[in-house]
Amino acid sequence: MRKLIVLAVVCVSIQGCASLGVEPWQREVLARDDMQLDANALDTAFDDHIYFSKEGTSGGRGFGGGGCGCN
Amino acid sequence: MVGAASAAAAAGVTEMADKDTKIGAAIAAATCSLLGTATPGVSIAADTQAPWDVESAFLYYGESDGRVKDMSVSAQATRDYGDERKLGIDLSLDSLTGASPNGAMATNGAQTFTSPSGRATYSTPAGVVPLDDTFHDTRFALNGNWSQPLARLYTLNAGLGFSSEFDYQHLGANFGMTRDFNQRNTTLSAALAYAQDTVKPVGGLHAPLSQMTDAVDYGEDGGGGGGGGSDSKNVLDVLLGVSQVLGRQTVLRVNLSYSDSSGYLTDPYKILSVVDPVTGDLIGRTPAPGASGPTGVYLYESRPDSRRKEGLYAEMRHDFSGKVLQVGYRYSTDDWQVDSHTLESRLRPARPGRRRGPASRPPPPVSRL
Repeated sequence: MRKLIVLAVVCVSIQGCASLGVEPWQREVLARDDMQLDANALDTAFDDHIYFSKEGTSGGRGFGGGGCGCN
Repeated sequence: MVGAASAAAAAGVTEMADKDTKIGAAIAAATCSLLGTATPGVSIAADTQAPWDVESAFLYYGESDGRVKDMSVSAQATRDYGDERKLGIDLSLDSLTGASPNGAMATNGAQTFTSPSGRATYSTPAGVVPLDDTFHDTRFALNGNWSQPLARLYTLNAGLGFSSEFDYQHLGANFGMTRDFNQRNTTLSAALAYAQDTVKPVGGLHAPLSQMTDAVDYGEDGGGGGGGGSDSKNVLDVLLGVSQVLGRQTVLRVNLSYSDSSGYLTDPYKILSVVDPVTGDLIGRTPAPGASGPTGVYLYESRPDSRRKEGLYAEMRHDFSGKVLQVGYRYSTDDWQVDSHTLESRLRPARPGRRRGPASRPPPPVSRL
């Protein structure tokens, strides 16, 4: 049931997207390096490593990475 | 920007919300990034870009009372071949030291355990959570990732990853596609990753729930109730994502993830205390004459051989006249009944940045841990 709700929310969100967004000439801020979703990849990888060790779970942002790094 | 090296330092501010986990120890974590544009030894013509863009970062993570300390160095080199074709290579070196709980409970008396190698023992005073201070690990990881446009609005990415520890090896591959919609304001992405890992515990593999035995100071494979050997673990990950430009200064990303692990999922170094069901006291054990060994009954852990995880991740980036606020939330649940909520925020000071576009494209989901 929860999966269906999530799916429905995602579908509705995608439909709603058609009216969202900016024109190509309005991207001066969005085009900046630090506004990219993959900016600071090394920092976020470090954080994900700590979360993985402390929460017993991984992934989400991207794929859970390789290795154990167990403690 | 052409040919000129630029350097900037950025400090990350991290918040972590733990619902089910209590970290009693004070935690000090600091990350620091050094970002620079790599310039090759030869001079570059004014109309070409430096081929490699290199970033590096250092992490120190430490817990008080001699607990876990982690030092990591990572470097990421990206080469832009033009027409949005990019090669990325990540290298990282990770060094873990310090003491870690071995899983046994604190008791009223001192406790002795056989170390993971099976060749020595260590003791814990009364009333103290038993820590295994032989815990240490060094990990080397290498990842490569390629991304390129497949057709107008479509992007393909594929990667390979490898990591090695003295008792653990990882081999992984990933493949993904993205599709832009709505004047590239919306991007849908789908990706698959498969990993094959090998666990080769120090002191050998222990049979599930076998009892910790006396230390044996001879023999190639050690003792401790297990022989040598290794076991494997396979992980399949699926990631579906959507990213959306919400306005001139705001971009949102939502990921749904599914992960299926199978094989050896036990932590080979963790044990259980066996206690009297009535009194709750540890059941005692006497080492063999002339040998040193555990003074209680401890069993090696046995975890299920499969685990399925589902996750939801949402992240928003917003620009406040140059400063960027990033807020992320992750919910993860699995069939081991581990539920976790992670809330994270970062505020980045304004810094000169080079332009890149289009902004709605999600990153290739390469393994980076």
